Amino acid sequence: MGESKTYTSPASHSATELALEGGWRVVVLNDPVNLMSYVVMVFKKVFGFNEPTARKHMLEVHERGRSVVWTGLREKAEAYVFTLQQWHLSAVLEADEAH
Amino acid sequence: MKRIEVKLSLPVVAPLLDVIKGLAVDLEKSLAAPGIPAESDHEFQTAWTEELIAAQNAEVRLLLGLFNDEFFADGVIAFDEENAEPIVRACSALRLRLRFGPLASVVDEQLEGGKVEIDRLDEPERKGFMCYLFLATIQELIIQHLDSSIIGS
Repeated sequence: MGESKTYTSPASHSATELALEGGWRVVVLNDPVNLMSYVVMVFKKVFGFNEPTARKHMLEVHERGRSVVWTGLREKAEAYVFTLQQWHLSAVLEADEAH
Repeated sequence: MKRIEVKLSLPVVAPLLDVIKGLAVDLEKSLAAPGIPAESDHEFQTAWTEELIAAQNAEVRLLLGLFNDEFFADGVIAFDEENAEPIVRACSALRLRLRFGPLASVVDEQLEGGKVEIDRLDEPERKGFMCYLFLATIQELIIQHLDSSIIGS
């Protein structure tokens, strides 16, 4: 799939603020190894996506290098990142600057 | 319980097992795809990493366990609803380690497009590449036949 990027910490919001506001994104980054069918299966399993939604996110990762797959409170976002890493996908947390 | 059995060629697969065992040792103390949330304290980071490594290694051991005495007697491995998920994950971890280890010099486009010129690879790379394909085949088999079992579990 593609190259990976490192997590960038939020510049303008404290972690407490963002956790309270629910402004965190789970971002899946491209990697050159995992099969497309595998990534689709993981998205279906972890997020309960249907096939077209899972495929849409997989293609976004593949073509754009990243896809935001979930947004919400930090604690839950961290849990999703952990689960995605259990599946060996490159996933990071990002502050949602819109909040 | 849904179950698939695959008969493998022993002369082809046996040499690849040595590669997989080497990768398993290599993975014992590090993650195939590392990444810890920033702004987390040292204790959190350690717990995060250790838990992921423990799960990763248990799954790789489960995969290696398929290639037991029975396998060397009849060449058959079996996947079912219980082992499908950890094995498909173990394959991912091993493929990642192969990609950034023995296959580090192969460019992404060649690897993704199936355009690797095997004759140009040296012996460790060739074995690594065969192993990379073998693990992908296991993943495809499981996803094709047991996807619904994994999603439902």
